[in-house]
Amino acid sequence: METTEIMDGKNITLERAGEEDRTLIFKNDMCAVCGLCETICPVSAIEANPTGAMIRTEQDMSKIDIDVNKCVLCGMCSSICPFQALDLQINGDSIRELQYPQLIKSAEIDNEECIHCKACETACPQDAIIITRELPSRAELITGEIDIDKETCIYCGMCEEMCPVDAIDIEHQTPTSDNPVVATDINVSEDICVHCGICKRICPVDAIKQVCRICPYGEYEISEPEINGNSYIDPELCINCTWCQEICPVDAAKVTKPFEGELTIEQDTCQGCETCVMVCPCNVLSFPKSTKSGLNAEKLHKDERFCIYCGACQKSCPVDAINVKRTQINYTPTKSKAWKKAFESLKQ
Amino acid sequence: MPKHIVSGLKYIAAVNLRKQGQTQREIAEALDMDRSTVSHYLNGRNLSWNSIEVAEMVTNFCPKDFLILTHALLKDTERTRTIIQTCSNLKFEGIIRNSCIGCGICVDTCLMKAIVLNDLKAHINDEWCCGCLICMEMCQTNSIEIKEVVD
Repeated sequence: METTEIMDGKNITLERAGEEDRTLIFKNDMCAVCGLCETICPVSAIEANPTGAMIRTEQDMSKIDIDVNKCVLCGMCSSICPFQALDLQINGDSIRELQYPQLIKSAEIDNEECIHCKACETACPQDAIIITRELPSRAELITGEIDIDKETCIYCGMCEEMCPVDAIDIEHQTPTSDNPVVATDINVSEDICVHCGICKRICPVDAIKQVCRICPYGEYEISEPEINGNSYIDPELCINCTWCQEICPVDAAKVTKPFEGELTIEQDTCQGCETCVMVCPCNVLSFPKSTKSGLNAEKLHKDERFCIYCGACQKSCPVDAINVKRTQINYTPTKSKAWKKAFESLKQ
Repeated sequence: MPKHIVSGLKYIAAVNLRKQGQTQREIAEALDMDRSTVSHYLNGRNLSWNSIEVAEMVTNFCPKDFLILTHALLKDTERTRTIIQTCSNLKFEGIIRNSCIGCGICVDTCLMKAIVLNDLKAHINDEWCCGCLICMEMCQTNSIEIKEVVD
């Protein structure tokens, strides 16, 4: 019946064996110190450590502390954590797979719509997106002819050195008395050549004949380039911030946020310490670049499109300049009045 | 000596189970005894009257002491459950408040296995509740109330 605590670096595991074997796992790396677990815990077993210190300096401690003597392993913290940093497992199964209230959140990229531009991959604050793509070879997008007159060629190697796609290959050799030549052969690979004409222009003896057919004949000979690719969002890392959805040029990404609300910043109170900017897991906050020396339109810039209203910034602000108001919590229905009350209590 | 109290408790349980209409075979199985011993017990043989008196005293302890002592003597949850249920004359009603979060601490502590979780809430089977109040004491959200039912 005793609950035991195991520390693995900064990760915490709490275990209780009984009718059901319950295990609560805390992954320090995934925690944004938003404090939702601390707020929802019905037995006040969780304490989030001071955010500024946790984020700005190297700390040997975990971002949260769980009191092993108080924790009853009910799983509320695990259900509310928007970052999947906490996970309660019952008999080895995560309560995310069981009949427990869950935050309703999702993120997907429609691979049919996706043009594999990688904008989302670049923008994702959690590096949760991987876009793989296979581009056609350059030669497939061009058409032309090239021929090197080996009789005229003096094998000077200039064309080989200048070719931007390494399509020319010369078999160099040191001349010997029985074969007094500097090279034995020269070849151009038509699969690689992009018919840029540089070799023709550099050749000192006009040994190269090259023509690009696109100008005289148009592009009809070239088939549409085929770009194959795949998009993947790591569900463990994704925090549903909607950066991918907002930055996608073809509306291929769809994201549902777990919370709705309002984020307000008191520009006059803000001291510009940057803690919130470092804390925010969704890259909602930034310092705007100065337009004129000594002038800033605003101290701290926000773009609420990306905000999931976790409250980490508010918790971290040393001067209370930020207010996060949650107006809606999207979670799956539950018959438990205590759980319902706990989820609803996070609204303001 | 502990063995004698166990015998006394089993005697009382056997007599009560017989009154409930159970056969000697069923009684033997429920109390983990052989049939001949059950037969002897029901006929008042092979048992000192003093053991029965002590056992009767134990059954009249407060429910928590009765339960913990019996469990300590038998070292077996199943037999303990049977003896407590058959030898106790008290009836209880468990009420779970809506503040229950379904943490399962009560399920794990209940020696009578009278509590189950359903839809993130504990449910007490009054048939099996012996009124020990251990669950109530352990509950971190004060969600359990146990009431004695007086006929």
